[in-house]
Amino acid sequence: MGMVWLAVRSLRHRYAAFTATFVAVLLGTALMGSFATLVETAAGPVPAQDAESLTVMGAVVGGWGAVIVLFSVASTVGLTVGQRDVEIGLLRTIGATPRQARRLVRAETLVVCLVAAVLGALLAAAGGRALLAALVAGDVVSDVEFGGGAVSLPLTVVGILQVCLVAAAIAGRRATRGPASVTAADDLAGARPIRRWRVALALVLIAYGLGMGVVTVTVSGNSDDPYDAMATSGSSSLLVGVGLALLGPLLLPVGARLARPFLGGGDGAGYLAGYTASRRAHLLGGVLGPVVVLTSGAVGTLMLVGADGRTLVGEPPEGTETINLLNNVVVGMISLFAAIMVINSFAAVVAHRRAELRQLWLVGGTRAQIERSVVAEAALVAAVGVVLGLVGSLATIIPFGLARGEGVLPDGQLWLPPLLVAGVAALTMLTARTLVRRATRSAAILIP
Amino acid sequence: MNASTAVLEVHDLARTYGEGTGSVAALAGVSAAFARGTFTAVMGPSGSGKSTFLTCAAGLEPPTSGRVVLDGADITDWDEERRTRLRRERIGFVFQGFHLMPYLTAAQNVGLPLRLAGRRPDRVRVSALLERVGLGERAGHLPAAMSGGQRQRVAIARALVADPAVILADEPTGALDSATAASVLELLRGCVDELGQTVVMVTHDPVAAAYADTVLFLVDGRVAGRMDRPTATAVAGQLARLDEWVA
Repeated sequence: MGMVWLAVRSLRHRYAAFTATFVAVLLGTALMGSFATLVETAAGPVPAQDAESLTVMGAVVGGWGAVIVLFSVASTVGLTVGQRDVEIGLLRTIGATPRQARRLVRAETLVVCLVAAVLGALLAAAGGRALLAALVAGDVVSDVEFGGGAVSLPLTVVGILQVCLVAAAIAGRRATRGPASVTAADDLAGARPIRRWRVALALVLIAYGLGMGVVTVTVSGNSDDPYDAMATSGSSSLLVGVGLALLGPLLLPVGARLARPFLGGGDGAGYLAGYTASRRAHLLGGVLGPVVVLTSGAVGTLMLVGADGRTLVGEPPEGTETINLLNNVVVGMISLFAAIMVINSFAAVVAHRRAELRQLWLVGGTRAQIERSVVAEAALVAAVGVVLGLVGSLATIIPFGLARGEGVLPDGQLWLPPLLVAGVAALTMLTARTLVRRATRSAAILIP
Repeated sequence: MNASTAVLEVHDLARTYGEGTGSVAALAGVSAAFARGTFTAVMGPSGSGKSTFLTCAAGLEPPTSGRVVLDGADITDWDEERRTRLRRERIGFVFQGFHLMPYLTAAQNVGLPLRLAGRRPDRVRVSALLERVGLGERAGHLPAAMSGGQRQRVAIARALVADPAVILADEPTGALDSATAASVLELLRGCVDELGQTVVMVTHDPVAAAYADTVLFLVDGRVAGRMDRPTATAVAGQLARLDEWVA
């Protein structure tokens, strides 16, 4: 097992690079594990009604959690591996087969994920107890005994590790494409064409989201159960958001072109940012994606919860608290992981471009100018991202509003989207500013 | 040169990048044979196809046309897996940028090709090789604690560890000062004279080329001449007149 030997040494050397993966898996396991204990508790001596609420909560959070952790681990591992193209190229040159290189990536990922998942499960053991206590205190369930942990937590860890393996397989395949070479991947090639399956998947997701909107207005909105409309429209904003995020490398240049008239002024920072965004959209697309999903999912779901609270008539039906709690937990999870991905992908972009930033400095750009141009890029990405995200959120807001009789424009909470947009924009730009400062203030920018 | 003793042969090697009007022929029909126990320098101006030649000869990239025969086996049509196995058994690499694994000690770096082949490196052999390149005491050091010349010596020991048929060196002294470069070139010369190794070295430095037995000149992806028993002055003179040869 030469590759495991190598993986352990590699990890010790670069544990910082795997921080994002570690955090994503740790938090993912802690969250999913906490809810998984609810399912296990439900299997114990619990009233049937409570058992159902607990099981639904566990299943919904577990399902969403798996998808989100898969996305974020695939993205973070992909970035870590992508930055090591020279190293992996060397291993292949001196005799590692593509399969061995993939095994190295898999072993590294598994070690990080195993440690993070086990720690996350420990957090979940406490978190599950606290969660149940909160549910009992909030009268969501009756006073049931906590009975989880022994089975559900190990299962969660195993499930998370499966997800990590899939993520590592994706990253490994990407790292071993093409012939082995010790020269860094050529950046002069410019925008890589977007893959066809990606466009197809994006269109399917968007079409599905819109289709569910039509179903909500025409069918489920007329149902006796007020939650049928939520079931069909609730996830539309996320699906459409993910679809738009997949199209990011295509949509970012369009946004940059539209924004160009506003970027002309100043000292050239905006000018550079406009061209980076349009000609190297494949780089910034990794940042744009989570911004879109974060905005779309958070705005769509929170507006949905608000509209639900306003339009439910009479006594709230069974399970209202559970549904609201679930909506909030899912939004929280998505926001948390999207934020990790925004930070991580921006770190990768800045690291990837050190040489380029140095060239800018060599031809006479001041450090302040270089920093401003990267922050301007972030502003552009944030602007395009929140616009797309808001468009995506309409896929939930409009159908649900129509189904509940509020019309296209919601009756309340109109302050929410601007607030979230400001938050997302601030996150993106602050991340960019912190990272580019660290890059330019360190001596490394002066030395190739 | 007698083809039967050749350890590496290329026949009419061509490599084109891109398609249509934008395509570039990096190699346009290069034939050469490298005999066992010889030291050959491949020289030429930028864009002459030196690096592509090395990449194709090493089986890293398949040529567009032509054949590569290594140690008697025609590897041209082998798949990636098989070429990789061949590389780690039969080819040693030395690069301009050293390319050591930053998280492995000198000894671990030297043993790495064997580990990739699924074998446990023989401690005695690894330390003998480090001794041979003059780094016996530094076996436990990480690359970051070593000078450029020392790192390149580790890389040479790594290239020797599998007892390869040929060592391919791509500008091995390009990142070194002249005194350190000289000692690295002495070391490569020693591998040929004392171990009977075969070295093919791409370089643009006439002084480095003077350590070789033969210099092969490439221009625009073609062989534009060769020189036996080169001296730095003669090579420099030849390089200055290369454009006349092709014209």
